[in-house]
Amino acid sequence: MKNRLKVLRAERSWSQQDLADRLEVSRQSVNAIETGKYDPSLPLAFRIAEVFAMRIEEIFLKG
Amino acid sequence: MAGTQQARRRYMMRFLPITLAYVAGIALATALIPDHAPADVRTISLSILPGLAVIGWLWAMGRLLVELEDEYLRMLEVRKFLVATGMTLAATSMWGILELYSPEVPRFPVFFVMPLWCLGLAVGALFNRLTFGSMKAGADHS
Repeated sequence: MKNRLKVLRAERSWSQQDLADRLEVSRQSVNAIETGKYDPSLPLAFRIAEVFAMRIEEIFLKG
Repeated sequence: MAGTQQARRRYMMRFLPITLAYVAGIALATALIPDHAPADVRTISLSILPGLAVIGWLWAMGRLLVELEDEYLRMLEVRKFLVATGMTLAATSMWGILELYSPEVPRFPVFFVMPLWCLGLAVGALFNRLTFGSMKAGADHS
């Protein structure tokens, strides 16, 4: 699943570690999600949406 | 991430004494049970001690999965366990069939199933590294 995590993070000048701290996950998790190697669970997807103050479908894209 | 580090620390705090108990149990059984001993109460009792430590390892690994809060890292651990289990089942099943049909093939002692599974964990870690890349690969600290 594609996502806009890297762009959204860059817009806020956050490092992967900054985002990981906000999500309370490891930096490896953020990297794996960003690169599309790992699709987060629904609860984590909701946390990501909450951190960026956006809807899930605005962050994660089909295909 | 503090929760993950705590889970790993707790795992090591469990793993190390259990490993010591395993080594001590094996040493004790080796010292006290003579070769070709009958399967009497003493033999069975002394053999059960290191066996309990093996159960302890499995419990510690199960607790690690439960206590790892980071779902991605937990998934990597589960993949390691699956690779180890698959490798052990495949290797022992294939060797077992070979033993069944050829008396010339050396017998594979069941004792080595657990060490083989642990070797499978290392293969699983390598598999994770090859399929998910190194922990630093693709990192962006900007």
